[in-house]
Amino acid sequence: MVSRGALVYIGQRTVLILFTAVAVSSIVFLAIHRIPGDALLNERHPDPTAEAELLHHYHLDLPLYRQYTLFVTNLVFHGDFGESLVNRGEQLTPLLLREATVSLEIGLIALIFTIGVGVLLGVFAAIRQNTWVDYTLTTTSVIGYSMPNFVIATFLVLVFSKLMYTWTNGSFYVPEGWDGTYGLLSQIPVPAFALGFPYASIVARLTRASMLEVIRQDYIRTAEAKGLKERVVIIRHALRNALIPVITILGPLTIGIITGGVVIENVFNIPGLGKEFVTSIITRDYNIVIGVFTVYAVLIGMANLGVDLVYTVLDPRIRY
Amino acid sequence: MALAQIDPQATYIDETAVREQTSLWQDAWRRLRRNRLAYVASFYLALLAVVAVVSLFWTPYPYYASPVIVHGHPITFYDPPLKHTILGTDGFARDIFSRLMVGARISLTVGLGTQVVVIALGVVLGLLAGYIRGAVDSVISTVINIFYGIPNLLVALVLVLVVANGKPSIVFIIIAIAVTGWTDMARLVRGQALSLREREFVEAAIASGARRNKVIFGHILPNSLGPLIVQATFGIPQAILFEAFLSFLGLGVPPPTPSWGSMASDGFHAMQIAPFVVLAPTIALSLTLMAFNFLGDGLRDALDPRQKR
Repeated sequence: MVSRGALVYIGQRTVLILFTAVAVSSIVFLAIHRIPGDALLNERHPDPTAEAELLHHYHLDLPLYRQYTLFVTNLVFHGDFGESLVNRGEQLTPLLLREATVSLEIGLIALIFTIGVGVLLGVFAAIRQNTWVDYTLTTTSVIGYSMPNFVIATFLVLVFSKLMYTWTNGSFYVPEGWDGTYGLLSQIPVPAFALGFPYASIVARLTRASMLEVIRQDYIRTAEAKGLKERVVIIRHALRNALIPVITILGPLTIGIITGGVVIENVFNIPGLGKEFVTSIITRDYNIVIGVFTVYAVLIGMANLGVDLVYTVLDPRIRY
Repeated sequence: MALAQIDPQATYIDETAVREQTSLWQDAWRRLRRNRLAYVASFYLALLAVVAVVSLFWTPYPYYASPVIVHGHPITFYDPPLKHTILGTDGFARDIFSRLMVGARISLTVGLGTQVVVIALGVVLGLLAGYIRGAVDSVISTVINIFYGIPNLLVALVLVLVVANGKPSIVFIIIAIAVTGWTDMARLVRGQALSLREREFVEAAIASGARRNKVIFGHILPNSLGPLIVQATFGIPQAILFEAFLSFLGLGVPPPTPSWGSMASDGFHAMQIAPFVVLAPTIALSLTLMAFNFLGDGLRDALDPRQKR
């Protein structure tokens, strides 16, 4: 299945992603360093030699172009994002990698949920068109994509922590966020649901529309006339073609889930990239801001590459 | 008139003649009014706009400080709803209803303001790219494609840090959202211009000696107004949502100015003690976004009847 052309294509795209990452980090680096005052301005420095030492440690005493070349060479040749400005001595690369996996975990579960639930509801609405099932699902989907994910998160926490606390005996209830880096099995569903639900509504709408178009085509009638069961016709014949328009929004969808993750991780105290991003902006840990933004650029590039590869699986007409 | 001489009993001819004279806009208005959800949504939005304007001059209590005493009763923080005030008070003993009113103004200002900037940027660039084509189109399309791959929220967050130093004003938030959000509008208008420039009426206008500006703004723009209005209507809730995100994360309009996002954030942190604080802003936000989406759906159906849902 994986041809030589596909491998070359993946290689080219990977190089492009890395190039984008360096470009993005450069832009953020230069933009951040034109903020007046250096990053350590908020601190008191009773001892001038200590301050000079600190500035030297972070290369902040060098002219900007030297700082920049040092930053880029460290990033490109050592994969090193430098040190945190707030938590002195904390190396950023392992920190960012760990947080990226946390974000990936919650994002992937949300994505699976989004596509699974969205497609399922869309197909249901389409094959029961103009019945109460259809009306309920389409109305719910408008409500779904009109509700911000932090509102859904709020209601879920309210339900599980307040109204149903005794009934659920505290499961799904997240008092101070995740214990440990990767949440427990009972802690994942609520954030993943809140993250995925608005997008599940969009996927459901799209699936319904394209499903309605596909099931009126001749080859579906042929399949039915052959005496195949409805389930087989829907899953094997109709759904595969109906999914192609859905795949086209996978790119924006992934970006949406990454963006939504920034909010959801802050709501549920999940120690991922999004939480780190907002925290570092508030504490002005510029090195982390640059690092997180770069990792986001890489993640988005990889997600887009993945989407393009999924195309080829679903639609054999597309080849690379 | 030939019609007047026809037998008056054959009124159906007269009716069809009148029907044909209705313009696109009258027709669209008729269809929009028939869509009950969109009708209700526009009433809700009109009410919201009135509340927003009223909040400029009058709120029941100040939004930035506690009313202290209401009807002789001292007001404490997390005063429950309907006891002394309609929606109760928040963690600083401020009246939630008053803050909700001002929050409506902030949300509508951000939503509408963003769309004004987006329309100004997106329409002009989209028309230029689609009508002139060539190098202009390449440059604009490349910029659109670069923006397309970057999550808006991340760019806006970095802008808030780098340009506004973490304390953005409303105008800054509007600009930050518009800078990251004009590409959808530009893409839409570019597509419209690309297809409209090949139509006969544009050819006729050029043949009759119309200048380029006249063709672009007098013929192509009015004919792409329908999709443009729909896109702008869907853009408003996106901008409101975006502002709510920023405020929820603590990087929006600085306090004490209330934004529905920051009110929701306050309420979220107080959920265990006072769960009612979070309800008012989140419900208001969801209803408003829903109303704009329903109105957008209605407008789309009304302005473009050929399009399938």
